[in-house]
Amino acid sequence: MKSRKLFVFMGAILALSIIMSACAPKVEEQAADVPTVVDESPAEVETITEPVMITYWHTMSDPETEQIEKVITAFEAANPGITVESTRFAWDDFKPALITGIAGDATPDTARMDIAWVSEFADQGALMQLDGVMPGFDDIADGTFSGPLSTNFWQGHYYGLPQNTNTQVLLWNKEIFDAAGITDAPATLDEFATVACELTKGETQYGYALGGTYFWAPAPIFYAMGGEVVDADITTASGYVNSEDSVAAFTMLTELFNQDCISPNLLGGGIGTADGHATGLYAMIVDGPWMVDIYKGNYPDFEVNFAPIPTGTDGSTSSVVGGEDVVIFEGTENADAAMKWAAFLLSEESQLTMAEVGVIPTLSSLIGNEALPDYFGVFLTQLETAQARVPHPAWSDMDNAINNAFQRMLNGDQTPQAALDQAAIEINALLQ
Amino acid sequence: MELLLTKFVKILKKSSTALIFLLPGLLLFTVFIIVPMIYSFRISFYDWKIVNPEQSEWIGVENYLRALSDPIFRRAALNTVIYSLVTVPGQMILGLIVAVLLNQNIRGRTFYRIMYYLPVITSWVIVSLLFEYMFSGQAGLVNYFLRDVFHVTSENILWLADPILTFVPIHLLGIWKGIGWTAVIFVAGLQAIPQHLYEAAEVDGAGSKEKFFLITLPLLRPTTVYLLVVLTIGSLNAYISNLLITNGGNPMDLTHFILTLMYEATFTKLDFGYGSAISYLLTMCVFVVSVFQIRMMTKPIEN
Repeated sequence: MKSRKLFVFMGAILALSIIMSACAPKVEEQAADVPTVVDESPAEVETITEPVMITYWHTMSDPETEQIEKVITAFEAANPGITVESTRFAWDDFKPALITGIAGDATPDTARMDIAWVSEFADQGALMQLDGVMPGFDDIADGTFSGPLSTNFWQGHYYGLPQNTNTQVLLWNKEIFDAAGITDAPATLDEFATVACELTKGETQYGYALGGTYFWAPAPIFYAMGGEVVDADITTASGYVNSEDSVAAFTMLTELFNQDCISPNLLGGGIGTADGHATGLYAMIVDGPWMVDIYKGNYPDFEVNFAPIPTGTDGSTSSVVGGEDVVIFEGTENADAAMKWAAFLLSEESQLTMAEVGVIPTLSSLIGNEALPDYFGVFLTQLETAQARVPHPAWSDMDNAINNAFQRMLNGDQTPQAALDQAAIEINALLQ
Repeated sequence: MELLLTKFVKILKKSSTALIFLLPGLLLFTVFIIVPMIYSFRISFYDWKIVNPEQSEWIGVENYLRALSDPIFRRAALNTVIYSLVTVPGQMILGLIVAVLLNQNIRGRTFYRIMYYLPVITSWVIVSLLFEYMFSGQAGLVNYFLRDVFHVTSENILWLADPILTFVPIHLLGIWKGIGWTAVIFVAGLQAIPQHLYEAAEVDGAGSKEKFFLITLPLLRPTTVYLLVVLTIGSLNAYISNLLITNGGNPMDLTHFILTLMYEATFTKLDFGYGSAISYLLTMCVFVVSVFQIRMMTKPIEN
């Protein structure tokens, strides 16, 4: 009987210890949070000297992560009492991490997120409004490129600032061009179509290749041809995504595909555009500034050549804006420090530090700055005309509608006109 | 009533030791499994706002109706069922053949057992990517063999661009990865069959064919049903290979499984109510299938 009681007692202790240990870290944390400063005259001194730690989540690459640590060091030196703790996430995990953070009331103070997500998170009420709240917001916003800035705008307010930007330009394989006796990248989209077919040799060489059928891939050519997804006020897609120009852009791509001048890899399960371009399989691809670093690592001998997206029928070029915005989460207890950090990320100093590893700045004052790498030139010029994708919470569904329309055209199920008419109906339903 | 209560207290007292030892595990199970399950069941009846749950709107069974009338969901359900119908028998038949071979006295038996078991312990992510490369439309090993070695086709087959052909690598991967585990369970079942039955059958003049179909197979029934239940549940929950090989339903959302669609609805589109409804529809399916299959298991073996 005695041993039985002992058992019961031990079992109870075990159960208790598990329950207790689950609570333990929190208790310790709270204890550590109590300011260590000996406060003789409480309130006042405490508000000034209490060290503030703000968290910053991002999805940077290795070299970018090294660089952002330098930016953090500079920020901490300039703002004594504020420390920044940065946490890096894998791209695929980032959105679930942010969402579980929001659901569990454990969001970071600040984050660098994809420009296409800001309106979505703002719509959920997760982000702090910055205009009219953040000191000097108007000045900072005025100094940035308008395309990237517009991605922070949702229902009358700004919920972030453009931290870095990028766009896509044309990459042309000079060796292939030289072998065919073509001296330069095509300047107009008509030339582009001709050259693409000229440089195609069966299955061993394609004139042009896209990474997939998702909107980002055809977007530069779509915008350069004058294509539009919705009207300026984001109320309807009818007459925009299926406008004459939009249809013409997709017709050109579909025709090139049917003539086998575009690699079939865009339908899935083929050789990627980056590898194919460097190995001479794809004469032309459309991609971003990060290709320089990728090729440096994987194909050190490959000569990367950039050119602006060829111009459309009205003689103007365009492309699609990519990049990331810095946002502050609603409910942060360190809003002041977080706003200082956001402002610092938009300073010339930090933007130039990040530019050293290929991150394109968002400040128009830095155009022509000597510290920027040479190849930024073509991207900065392209950015002047590049357009942002629709800043709307349902953008990923709109993207999907266009993606599926493109697939139907390529499979020959529908004409570009019919496919885009259907996409317009689907997008309109999302705008209701 | 009072009698019942005293009886209950008596039972409690009698098993108090066991209960206390069960408590930690039970507590963790409740906190991390039961509570989230109930919570997500609740979410499935709302247009759930993840940031401000209090603003969520009660919409009844609308999420469920939406799923059932959604062509993408229907296609995903069909894909999942076909996956089960192909990979479960595939794993079981091949697993049984391997088990029967491995159960004989052959040289290097341990070596073969390890070889067949290796795919089981490989990472789903790595082998999914491997299969994706093998079935690449432009530079895949499979196309190389079909076109250049065996001359079955004169053109490259774009496996992953076709909503039907995409399932060739996904199904093959599911079968290949499961044979080893199925075989190990079958080997255990085979070894439990008393040797004297075979000896008696031999005396009666039974050949190896009769022995297999009249002794081995009937006596393996509990093992077979167990495998059927576990493999079916597993196949209905298939997820990683599809997500990686189809990139989340490509082309045109025709290649989803129920779980990849649930993941997309919940974590990409933040539609938690719809995602929860999808997972509860799947839970119901799994439940019904399991009950049906376990009924089969509890039937006694006839002589």
